[in-house]
Amino acid sequence: MRGAGSIEVAGLRKVFHQTGTGEAVVAIDRLDFVVAQGDMVAIVGQTGCGKSTFLNILIGLDRPTDGRIAVGGRTPYDDFDHFRGVLAAVFQQDRLLPWRTAIDNVRLPLELLGRDPRDQLARARAWLERLGLGRFERAYPHELSGGMRQRVALARAFAIEPSLLLADEAFGHLDEVTAAALRQTFIELARTEGNTAILVTHQLEEAIDMGGRILVFGRPGRLLADIDLRTRSAASVAGLRADIQRMLQDNAADPRFTRSAKEQA
Amino acid sequence: MKKQEAIAGETVEALEARTPFRFPREMVIGLLALAVAWQILSLFVPPFIVPGWERIFKSLLTLRMDFVVITLVRVVAALVVSFALGLGLAVLMYASAPVERYGRPIVRLLMAVPVVCWILFAVLWFKWVEFRIAFVLVVVCAPVFLVDILDAMRGVSKDLRDMLRSFRPTRAQLFTKLVLPATLPAMLTSWKINLSLAIRVVTIAELVGAVTGIGYGLVVAQELFSVAEVFAWTLILVVLLFLAEAVLTRVEERVLRWRV
Repeated sequence: MRGAGSIEVAGLRKVFHQTGTGEAVVAIDRLDFVVAQGDMVAIVGQTGCGKSTFLNILIGLDRPTDGRIAVGGRTPYDDFDHFRGVLAAVFQQDRLLPWRTAIDNVRLPLELLGRDPRDQLARARAWLERLGLGRFERAYPHELSGGMRQRVALARAFAIEPSLLLADEAFGHLDEVTAAALRQTFIELARTEGNTAILVTHQLEEAIDMGGRILVFGRPGRLLADIDLRTRSAASVAGLRADIQRMLQDNAADPRFTRSAKEQA
Repeated sequence: MKKQEAIAGETVEALEARTPFRFPREMVIGLLALAVAWQILSLFVPPFIVPGWERIFKSLLTLRMDFVVITLVRVVAALVVSFALGLGLAVLMYASAPVERYGRPIVRLLMAVPVVCWILFAVLWFKWVEFRIAFVLVVVCAPVFLVDILDAMRGVSKDLRDMLRSFRPTRAQLFTKLVLPATLPAMLTSWKINLSLAIRVVTIAELVGAVTGIGYGLVVAQELFSVAEVFAWTLILVVLLFLAEAVLTRVEERVLRWRV
């Protein structure tokens, strides 16, 4: 049986047309894979390999040019409203509303779902506490550090208990210590809550830390490898880093990159 | 416990960072210097050209203060109507691209018409003086509100919009939770701009046909060749503008306390 957070991607393709010239740019060439409910998947790849484009399509903000993408059997773009309360995302920047306090930012998605105000407050408070920000619920975003703001963003995403949780380079801009702590929190919470979690990153270490599946994306938006860390021994995981790096380097040297975008299209 | 320790290393910046009251020393000194220069000039120039402060203050005491209240009421009422009209039309244009495509050129045309022309149109078209003044104020201020608010709505960060859309808001929710609050700073700035615009326009509008208000007071002073009275009215207008701006700044500080 298909879970609400399961993902099916088949023949997915996305082509953008440049404003003015109309020239076609292939962001995603072809993607095929399946993610089961509750899986933790890291998508890793170099800049420009279509990771964020894929995430935007998965969120439902962008429509694929061709192919199919379904979450729990429904397409995020066409069945947009079906995903109310089903999906939540954490972005590279915290994207907190600057005029709302920390607790009001966490309440935001609950307000959109029309939850009872007392329930909104209790849940928001509980999530801030859980992320170690109980003392700062009345602080405005500009009064918090980058790491604290990203915690608020995490609390906001978890507050609606989504079936599918997405993180787009969510920890990449933070310092190493803060990023590691937040990543750990994200993984723990996602595991505890049983969410399907997709973490998009360009950092290999981050992908390996997730300890689930790694989808290696190459340019232009295609799957180079699908690695399941759960079935690997510790020794083989150690060698994995070099393997993936080689894979990405080979992909970067692929002669197809020298072809014009028009030819690729 | 672990989490508390983890965030202990992170800094809390500018908690309770409010701008404390600071005496505007430079402004006071600058204005005082101007006043002193004026007084010195008045010693060398006939009083019907540059009256001294003593004459100006004497005139101030003879002015009809009810005219000040009347002018203020006209300005505030016209600004409230202009704001409601500007906001309503901005929302309409924001919601519908065709309405904006057809509406923008009309608004630009309205904004290009000089104030004096509007005053003449008002005199030619309308009989009732209060309506003439209100018409001129609204036709001048509403387009400014409209353009400022619409531009601010169009400028709402795409990142924030995408974030909110990922949670699937209704159109009304997107508007009330994001677009409207994000536009608030621009609305307040527009109020400041329109306030000084309205105070300048209302006096010109009151010059034509009104028998009350500061503009009318200025006409009377000019007919009596009382330069001191003209200066006294001007002083009142400037003080009014400063006070109104100070009030708006306080409102801005309270409402926009979330800003860095």
